Parts: sequence; C-alpha cells; structure tokens
Amino acid sequence: MLNRRIGTRTILAALVIGLTLGLSLQAQTKPSRIISLVPGATEMLFAIGAGPRVVAVSSYDKEPPEVTSLPRVGALIDPDVERILSLKPDLIVVYGSQHDLAQQLGRAGIPHFSYVHGGLPDIFRTIRELAARTGDIEQGERVVKGIEATLADVSKRVAGRPRPKTMIVFGREPGSLRNVYASGGYGFLHDALAIAGGDDVFGDVKRESVQASTELMLTRAPEVIVELRADDESAPDRAAWQTLASVPAVRNNRIVLLTGSDMVTAGPRIGQATVRLAKALHPEAF
Amino acid sequence: MPPTNGEGVVSARDRIAHSTIQGIRARLVTVCLGSVALALGAIVLAPLAGSTSISLAHAFDLTRPWASNVDAQIFFVARLPRVLAAALVGSALAASGVVFQALLRNPLATPFTLGISSGAALGAMLVLTIGGAFAATTWAAVPAASFAGALAAVSIVYALAAARQRGFSTSVLLLAGVTLNSFFSALILMLQYFADMASVMQTLRWLLGDLDVASYTPIVVALPMLVVAITAFLVLAPRLNLLSVSIDAAAMRGVDVVSTQRISFLSASLATGAAVSIGGPIGFVGIIVPHLVRLIVGPDHRLALPASLGFGAAFLVACDLVGRTVIAPLELPVGIVTAVIGGPFFLWLLVKHAQ
Amino acid sequence: MSIDVGPGTFVGVLGPNGSGKSTLLKLLGRLLTPDAGTVTLDGRPLGAWPRQAVARRVAMVPQETHPAFDYTVLDLVLMGRYPHLGALAIEGPSDLAIARDALRATGMSAFESRLFSTLSGGEKQRVVIAGALAQQADVLLLDEPTASLDPGHQLEIAALLVELNRTRALGLLLSTHDLNLAASVCHDLVMLSEGMVIGTGPTGDVLTGANIERLYGIRADVRFHPEAGHLTVVPLRHLS
Repeated sequence: MLNRRIGTRTILAALVIGLTLGLSLQAQTKPSRIISLVPGATEMLFAIGAGPRVVAVSSYDKEPPEVTSLPRVGALIDPDVERILSLKPDLIVVYGSQHDLAQQLGRAGIPHFSYVHGGLPDIFRTIRELAARTGDIEQGERVVKGIEATLADVSKRVAGRPRPKTMIVFGREPGSLRNVYASGGYGFLHDALAIAGGDDVFGDVKRESVQASTELMLTRAPEVIVELRADDESAPDRAAWQTLASVPAVRNNRIVLLTGSDMVTAGPRIGQATVRLAKALHPEAF
Repeated sequence: MPPTNGEGVVSARDRIAHSTIQGIRARLVTVCLGSVALALGAIVLAPLAGSTSISLAHAFDLTRPWASNVDAQIFFVARLPRVLAAALVGSALAASGVVFQALLRNPLATPFTLGISSGAALGAMLVLTIGGAFAATTWAAVPAASFAGALAAVSIVYALAAARQRGFSTSVLLLAGVTLNSFFSALILMLQYFADMASVMQTLRWLLGDLDVASYTPIVVALPMLVVAITAFLVLAPRLNLLSVSIDAAAMRGVDVVSTQRISFLSASLATGAAVSIGGPIGFVGIIVPHLVRLIVGPDHRLALPASLGFGAAFLVACDLVGRTVIAPLELPVGIVTAVIGGPFFLWLLVKHAQ
Repeated sequence: MSIDVGPGTFVGVLGPNGSGKSTLLKLLGRLLTPDAGTVTLDGRPLGAWPRQAVARRVAMVPQETHPAFDYTVLDLVLMGRYPHLGALAIEGPSDLAIARDALRATGMSAFESRLFSTLSGGEKQRVVIAGALAQQADVLLLDEPTASLDPGHQLEIAALLVELNRTRALGLLLSTHDLNLAASVCHDLVMLSEGMVIGTGPTGDVLTGANIERLYGIRADVRFHPEAGHLTVVPLRHLS
C-alpha cells in the first residue's frame, strides 16, 4: 500500500529536493566566483588552481599576469562594497582587520575568508586553509610542498656557512637615512632571512617592523644591508648609507638591492624570494 | 592667570621683579645668561645619554681611525647632530610661539595656528608620495619641499591679510590661517588615500616629528634663517609689549603697528618654516614653553623671548632624549612625547583661561 | 570745524553713536589721516611730525584696555615711557621715577606690583591714565573714559581729570555720552552730529535744551545744580 503511495511524483520531488540540496552544498564547498582583496592571497589562489574562478582582485594586485584584465574592487582602506556585491561572489578573501566589511558580507550571505598576516608557517597554513575552502586541497598541498622543497634546498646550501648579521630595510625617506623601516624579529621576512642563512640584527625585537634610528643602526652594526623594494621606480640611492661609516656593511660595500613584489608579498613566491635573499648573503653557495 | 595669593601678587615673579627693580637691565642680563646656560647645559649633557652605552674616552680618542670607531660615530653622527637639531628646533618653535601669541593677542595661539605646518606637511607629502625618482637623489628633497610648502601657506595668508588698504588685519590672518589649515589637511588626506601603503607610513611618520638628522648639514643650512628671525624677534620685543596691551595705545606711543605686525608675522613664519623642515611639525613646544616662560620671568617680551629660546631648546632636547631612551631599542617619536606632556598641559591652560 | 586743545583746556566732545567722536579722537591722535583739513601740533601739520615726537606730546586713554597677557600695573605704566626711550628700549632709573610719579598722581602707588587683571574698573582706568601721564604728554585724549564704570568710579575719574587739568595744566579732550560728566568737568564743548559740528563753545553756552534736542532727539531739562556747582541734565522723554 505504501509503495503505491510513494509514486512517481514523490520520487521526482525527492530527486529535485536532493539535487538542489546537493548543488547548493557543492556551491558551498567549491566556490566559483572568488574575489580577493589581498595580493598575497590572490597569488595563492592562482597557484592552487583556483585562478579561473577569480572574478575580481584588489587595486594593488599585479601578479600573476592574469590579474591585469580583472576588475578591481579596492583594498584594505577602501573596499568598493557595491562593486563587490554586484559581481555576486561566493567567496571573498578579506584582511583579518576588515571586521566591518566581513559583517556586511555576512549580512549579504557571502562567505568570507579572513587573511591573517604572520610568519612563514602562517603562509603555509593560509595556503592549506584557502585550498580547503576552494576545494583544491591536493593542489594546495603540492604548492606547499614545492615551497618547502625550495626552502630545504636553500637551507642545505647555506648550512655550515657563517651567518652574517643582516638588516633588511624596506623603506626610508628618499635620498637620506631618515625614517628607516627595517624588518623586525617577527614575520615572514624574518623567517625567510633565517632560512637564507642570515642573522637578523633586530631579531630580539618581536615586531614585524622596526624604526631604526641612526644610533640603533650603528650599534647593531649589520654586516649586510638588504634593501627591498616592490618595484624599480623607487630605487633608493646607496650613497646615503655613507653616513654610517663604521657599519661593516657600509665599509665592505655589502649593500644589496632586491626589487620585485615577490620580496615583499607573503605568498607562494616566498620560496624564490628566500632564494634571492640567500644568493645575496651567500653568493658562493649558488 | 597664574596662581596668586589674596592680594593678586605672583610671588615667583614678584621676587624677580622687585628685587631687581633698580635695573631692568640687570633682569635682562640675568635672563639672557640663564637662558644660554640652560641651552648649553642641555646640549652638552644630552649626547652623553642614549639607548646604547658608549665609552666617551673612545669617542674622543683621536688616535682611533674614524671608520671603525663606533663610539665616536654614535656620539658625533647619531647623537650630537640630533641634540643640536632639537635645540634649534625647540628654540625656534618656542620663540615663534611667543611672537605669534603677541601678534594675535591671544595666549592660545601656536606657531601652527596660521597654516604653516599643514603647508609644510603638504610639501613633504607630495615628495614622499609622488616625488619618486627625483626625491631619491638628494637628502634635501623632503626638507626643501616642506619649506616650500610652508612658504606657500605663509604667502597666501599674508597676501590675504595685507590686502586691506589700511595695513594688516590680524583677524583676517587668523581666519585665513585656520581655513588654510583645514584645506591643506584635506588635500593631505586625499593624497594619502590614493598613495600606496609605504608612502602613507612615511608621511605619518614624518608628521610625528623626527630629529634624527645624522648630519650637520641641515643645521648649517637652517642656522642663518633662524639667526635672522631671532634677531628680528629681539628687536621687536618692546613693540610686542605695547601691541599686546592695546593696539591703539601702541600706535599712540609711536609704534608703527602695521610694520611691526608684518615683520613679526614674517620672521616668526620663517623660524617656524625652518624648524618644521628640519624635524617635522612637532607640536606643543610652541605653546607650553611660552606659557612656562611667562610664569617664570613674566610677560615682558624683552625677557620672555630670550628665555623662550633657552627654555625651548632645553625642553625639546629633553623630550627627544626621553623619546630615544624610554622604550629602547625602539623610539618614541618626539612629537608624541611633546603631545603627551602638552595635551594635559593645554587642557589645564584652557581651564585656567576660562576662569 | 576748528578745535583748539591747548594747555589747561578741557574740551568735551558730545554726540550720538556714529557721529564721529572716535574718528575725531583718532584724527587728533594721528591714528587716522584727515581727508580734508589739517590737524596741527604747535602749528605744524601732524603728518609732518615724526611718529615718536607726536607720542611725546599727545597721549590717548582708550575706553577699555584688555592686555593679552598678565602685566603688572608698573609694567603698563612703564610702557608709557616708550616714546622717550632709546634704541634699545630699556628703561632707566629716571623712567622708573617718572612712572612712579604718575602712579602717585593717580593715587595708585600702592598697586605697583599688582596684576592689572585683578583691579576694579576704576582702578584700571586710573592705571591707564597714569600710563598716559608717564608719556609726559601735554595733551590727553580720552575716549569715553567713564563709559564702563559704576557711578562711584565715575566720580573718582572725573575728580582725577579735573585735578590733572588744574595742577599740571594738561590739555584734555574727552568724548562721552555722559552729559552730566561733560557738564561737570569740561570747560568747552563740541557737539557732533553725523560728522558735522552743530555747536561749539563754553559749556554754559552750548549745553542747552535746544542743542540736546538737536543732538539726541530727546527733551531734557538743563539747569544749574547749586550743590553740584555745575549744570545738570535730566533726560525727560524721547521726541518722535
């Protein structure tokens, strides 16, 4: 009697309901319209194979080349919420500090991924977590393993060599040594430096950046100074360093300039950034 | 108003005033000598302290080669220029504060009231955000740009105030200055909005003040301007007294009011512009020191101006010393130190003034 | 118009607001230059005199004095010595003595080290007058000197001015709204209306009901008061 009642209509209804549920579940596990406000995360997305599913990026994104044709939706201070919503994303990567934006997106029913800055291990963790969200877990693992292999190779090459005291500078007032911003004892640059075979002169200051005064730089006396710049345009002049005559890096002319967004982005190219760092510190090992 | 006893006599000033009533000259000499001593004392003592401990014997040991003498470098490159810069900037801002307060007849005026600091900030910002390759060629890019910005602000405000046929209007000056402040601040915010993170950080940092010049060149360049300005101040001092009591009475006593106002404005702006170009817009020095100085030596500008020079120098040297030692190895920007002291002080002033 | 302020004269300038009283004072004090006519000092046009030379002969007492900073009484009186000081503008012992003399003349010697801001209205005006005396000027121009004072202080200042006029042969010119003050102290009066002189001469001749009517548009009773010893004016009503 029950079998007759559960007729074609019922089965059809169950199928429809089942499919809808299934599809929506799948939509939740494999987003197909992704927006990224964080350049590092954008690179990660493309590296793990979610690139084709990215529909918009931040104003500052330049890598990989595919993003040049994508629409821009602002960044940390100025996310263009209207634009974002109009693109109908199903996953959006935001900065950990963009709480308001996350709330707004939540109300609009858009899932978000909070990108939190940190050290080298955090880059790996983020890649894995992002891969889990986009449904590219295997590719995510592959990317991480790839970077780890690069880093392992670097470690091997620099093993046993004397580690020079290194200061990584990522900003200063043009033409002078005013307002020098150096890498501190925390963060991915600090970790990369450690692997590249260098000793961070500000390793004891547990901050991502340190404002180095003249006195501090003279005291810490780095043996190598690495200046990082995102692009060629703002290439700093090296002559400014001559005021610190007693610093070994200046005396021995070991001031290196590394340009490129890979040097300042916490993303999948951190491996090659570390290689460049290591080459600057230990050229003979490569 | 300073605290008084029931008869309205200020005891600290009274002691100075009465005991030397036989010679305003004697008071003048005492204040000048005291001021110089205070400044020199600060300049000599401050480089001895810092975030690192150094050996003075090594620093002054001429037999050691310069390039390897870290102690000497720390003393002569890191500390001494910084202390000298602090002394110059402090004295310039303090004395300018006194002059602006006399010019505007308002004890709450500061060297930055009339838009000079926001003009300087705009100049510096332009270099830091879009100056790029040009800026990187010279240490003087940011200081020169901020001085130019200050000049621009001064010129606009001056032109507006002097447009009146009958001379110089301080009320127009004030309005123009305050308006310019707002306008330039808006431009600065707009520049920051469109600039990249690194430039934004650089300008924010510049705005907080920094005296770590690491070179004697900025000091040598600014010195002639400050000497000119300060000479003007000292010459104007008696006229500022008369002007601050009553403009009509001053004119009736033979003071060329318009000329005095013009020269005061221009010389104080010159000193402020030079100071801001060296160390950024360091706030509160221009209001704390004039008030403290008046409490001690009285409002007579012939005493208050020399006193503010020495006191301003010592004050800023001390603030910078605190900033570079209190959270070593990190530094607290000097503008924050002066603000932490100055904020509550300013509030106290406002309360006192309202009474 | 022609007004003469010589030694021992005591002229009152009357008129409604906007009649030009302040302007007249400023012209006499060289704060303004006349569009037509001349102001002369000792026969020479005012503009031909060096600024400081005028200051040594003519002093002004403004209606109110609000120093921007906390000066003492002596500070303010000493500032009156400015036209006599040399290039360095530093006072000497003789300047101090003159300042103290001026304070004595105005009865303010005991207030020397007091802060000006702590004084009463009448005391402040006396200090300002002392400052004008320290200038050793022959002529004092006073802009509504009793306008912001209470009746007690008004009488105080009036008596002081009469005494200075008498004992030092100062020439005084004061502008005022106070008809009774003018009646009590001024020897001569000038009545100004909309920048024109409508009456000038000895007080007794000029201060009449008819003139007051023309000047202020009010009906007033003017009569000699035996106890006061001078004319008094009682405003009665407005005339439409």
